Amino acid sequence: MSAIQSELTLSDRGLPRMQGADAAQLGAALQRKYAERITGHSVQPARSADYRPLPESLPAALRRALQARGINQLYSHQAEAWDAVGRGADVVVVTPTASGKSLCYTLPVVASAMTQSTRALYLFPTKALAQDQVTELLELNRAGDLGLRAHTFDGDTPGDARQAIRLHGTVVVSNPDMLHQGILPHHTKWAQFFENLRYIVIDEIHSYRGVFGSHLVNVLRRLRRVCAFYGSTPQFILCSATIGNPKAHAEALIEREVTAITRSGAPHGERHVLLWNPPVCNPDLGLRASARSQSNRIARLAVRAGLKTLVFAQSRLMVEVLTKYLKDVFDHDPRKPARIRAYRGGYLPGERRAAERAMRSGEVDAVVSTSALELGVDIGSLDVVVLNGYPGSIAATWQRFGRAGRRQQPALGILVASSDPLDQYLIRHPEFFSGAAPEHARLHADQPLILLDHIRCAAFELPFHDGDGFGSDAIDPFLQVLAESGVLHHEGTRWEWIADSYPANAVSLRSVADGNFVVVDRSEGRQTIIAEVDYSAAALTLYEGAIHMIQAQPYQVERLDWEGRKAFVTRTHVDYYTDAIDYSRLKVLAQFEGCVAGAGSALHGEVHVVRRVSGYKKIRYYSHENIGYGPVNLPDQELHTTAIWWQLPQSVLDAGFSSRQDALDGFLGAAYALHLVATVAVMAEARDLQKSVGSADGAWFAAADGRGRGQLRAIDGGLADPRDVPGFIPTVYLYDNYPGGVGLSDPLWRRQGELVVQARALIEGCACRAGCPACVGPILAADEAALDTPRALALRVLNLLFVP
Amino acid sequence: MTALAAQLERWRQQSGAVRIQPAAQAVIAPLASGSAAIELDHLRRLLGLRLRSTASQTAVDGDLPGSELAPGLRYVERHLDLGPADAVLYTDIAGFEHIDPPRLLHFDTETTGLSGGTGTRAFMIGVADWRDDRLRIRQLYLATMAAESAMLETFASWLRPEHILVSYNGRCYDAPLLATRYRLARMHNPLAALRHLDLLFPVRRRYRGVWENCRLATIERQLLGVLREDDLPGSEAPRAWRSYLTRGDARDLRRVLAHNDQDVISLAQLLRRLAIAAP
Repeated sequence: MSAIQSELTLSDRGLPRMQGADAAQLGAALQRKYAERITGHSVQPARSADYRPLPESLPAALRRALQARGINQLYSHQAEAWDAVGRGADVVVVTPTASGKSLCYTLPVVASAMTQSTRALYLFPTKALAQDQVTELLELNRAGDLGLRAHTFDGDTPGDARQAIRLHGTVVVSNPDMLHQGILPHHTKWAQFFENLRYIVIDEIHSYRGVFGSHLVNVLRRLRRVCAFYGSTPQFILCSATIGNPKAHAEALIEREVTAITRSGAPHGERHVLLWNPPVCNPDLGLRASARSQSNRIARLAVRAGLKTLVFAQSRLMVEVLTKYLKDVFDHDPRKPARIRAYRGGYLPGERRAAERAMRSGEVDAVVSTSALELGVDIGSLDVVVLNGYPGSIAATWQRFGRAGRRQQPALGILVASSDPLDQYLIRHPEFFSGAAPEHARLHADQPLILLDHIRCAAFELPFHDGDGFGSDAIDPFLQVLAESGVLHHEGTRWEWIADSYPANAVSLRSVADGNFVVVDRSEGRQTIIAEVDYSAAALTLYEGAIHMIQAQPYQVERLDWEGRKAFVTRTHVDYYTDAIDYSRLKVLAQFEGCVAGAGSALHGEVHVVRRVSGYKKIRYYSHENIGYGPVNLPDQELHTTAIWWQLPQSVLDAGFSSRQDALDGFLGAAYALHLVATVAVMAEARDLQKSVGSADGAWFAAADGRGRGQLRAIDGGLADPRDVPGFIPTVYLYDNYPGGVGLSDPLWRRQGELVVQARALIEGCACRAGCPACVGPILAADEAALDTPRALALRVLNLLFVP
Repeated sequence: MTALAAQLERWRQQSGAVRIQPAAQAVIAPLASGSAAIELDHLRRLLGLRLRSTASQTAVDGDLPGSELAPGLRYVERHLDLGPADAVLYTDIAGFEHIDPPRLLHFDTETTGLSGGTGTRAFMIGVADWRDDRLRIRQLYLATMAAESAMLETFASWLRPEHILVSYNGRCYDAPLLATRYRLARMHNPLAALRHLDLLFPVRRRYRGVWENCRLATIERQLLGVLREDDLPGSEAPRAWRSYLTRGDARDLRRVLAHNDQDVISLAQLLRRLAIAAP
């Protein structure tokens, strides 16, 4: 508690008056005052533009329109894109935020529309981006009187406008969800559009990875099937933020060869990046001040200096907490317009549009956002970006930093590490942010569940024939399964849709299934839907008693209708928030491969995971003290997925450890370190890869008790003593956190030996004595003095698994 | 493949999907190979599907009325004496002038679902027109899915440029649905060029608020005094057709035929009635 107090009383004094400073000056001041917190500093020098003349082959009217908009030359990457598209290549353009990417596709699309009356489909991951794009196209259209008709087509498009858009839209700007649910299942109404479809533009392709990306590949398979029916084979123009494998990722998405254009000719201002580690407040336990307190402080300083600031937080909850803290400082006068705003998914569209407008117009000084603003939503120019916690990938880190400095002024990006071990690992290795290429986007298009969903949707759109492929493989077994459930009818060589349903409505591209929960506000007799929550997050955030935050307003969940997917909340006034307590256990179902790993073994296979939310903690604002618990009674979440795991035989453990408790603690520490290095090694999103320690036969599982000590629990969740369990074979699991897996365990299995080596190096290279959150996880003060420290125990386990 | 089916169902549950209750009558078309049949039995168990016993299958009543125009395409025709149709008509209804009754083509479809989109099809088209002062009712329906093209072709061959289509909610439902089917069959849509008189609109204008709703069954009862016996509600039609397709049970399909037959007769009578009611 003393640490927290001192953190709170630290003031902003000692910093020079920063009013009117630019971002570079703020960065320099922070470096002076907080030198010990800054683990890395880098500057990307300003870069001047590389221009090319407007292409000769540009239609004259388009050339005039560009010139009227002040565009008299192109950046090199725009000219390269024009040439490559002209050659008929499918193209991916990979350049930073605000480098004029959209001209790369606007030019060929508009030129072809003008000269050959062709049409184009644009896909953006969000509606907001689609609207920005249409505005841009219409401005160009007005500038040159080009006769272009550009429209958004999404869930908000009024019914009477839809017909006109289908018949006459030159450029239809939509999103994958709308293509999937609203366009493809009605393709006959779009017949003329598909017959003349020349270009498909997909922007922000780096955001289509994992589950969403796997869905998109299948939506594009369906799109190509429909285009083939109408005799068109459109060309693809893709854009991406910087990722490690743009060409491969683009090729995985559209399943064709792609030409990559990766060198940007756009100028940019100087960009400073600071890596910030919160100060140690308990050196014995290696505990640091919270990232939240640091981000809050930095944002406060930036706003006071008159710099437009964007703070990214990792969770919706953290967005709300940080917004409240900043509002407490800057928005205490309710008569004045708000200077601080929150922005995240789960708000209704109108609310989000209002926030975007306020940011563009400069009314707002700071925005606190989830990843929702990572993409190119136009919110005007910013000076400072603060990342409260590592966003989970190097690519996302740069993408978020890229939000600042749009006007070629100096920009400042600050990554504040959280206590999360991954953050701590990376913040002390600044080389990850300078030298290393950003990670590779991955997807798993043939994930069976996703594939089944899209084969169902595709069969609704056009019948399948025996031996047809969808993607690469023959899909007859899937068709048979669908026929078995009464959805398809096999007649002759055709598989025809016969069900009385509209399958696309039951398939959500963003989540694993159509299981979203709606949050219903029942305050004062209302019945208003105020938010939506993904199925996967529901158990953790919507249990009865949970405080659910919306625009920093707390709502309490009064009743959760699990089957009906509804949470009923009322407005409340409390000074705490809630945090779920959950744990998981695993059971091996099938073993694919195995090998000797040191004195033990490493295996790869299929597992059954049961996760349970057992209760929640109430945590008071500011002091963050735990002020109570509540029980949660929800169905267990079950998951069949793939995993890799390591185990040691009992004889080895008996010889190597003085007690089973020691061995268990060693396994927990080893799991912690292995999970950390594995997350970085396969460049997974941290939440997609999970760890667990349990018995090989699923008879018990272990969890750290919050202070680092291993606790062994039986299947019913009751505590057990390690000395009492028969067949004590602790096992470390790393599993893919998605039903059926999204393809993480394969690359992990191929690198299993390397992971043990890296985990060992991580612990050996850690500066702590007995173990800390950056290597084996948080430990007890009492363990500091122990002979066998958690750190030593974890190293012993890893050494036993090590193959020299 | 069995493992695939079982796993797919498990994963679906785990990902929050609501459990699908497979329709009991949904049974896959028989497969040739014996070993495959064993596999499929296993699959059915896993997915909770039940195979109908052979005994009940032999007892299925698969009797289809009418004649076969083309493989899988059935045709039913009858004539009805309703008294002579007036030649002077309908000015009030949609700006039509004097229309020769033989120009009127009353039509109604029965479809495999109500959800719209490319996966929904018409499996039955009923048409009524005046021939020598009698109402001729012709119905086309599918006994196989492959016969759809033949049905669309036959229906198109019945249409002449001078025809005026008469329907109930056909502008928003039947005509767009057929347009989709013609498009998918890569045929010219013969409906697009014809005038179309949708009686729902004049009925709504005149009787909204007068009766509990403007559904055809209500209007029929109130205006024409028609009371249907043993009527299969239109919403049951998709199930009835699937029963025939997957099990060969034609009992409910015959009721759909009767329902559709009454629909087109009512259309013809309703139009006369509306015209007479006009000032």
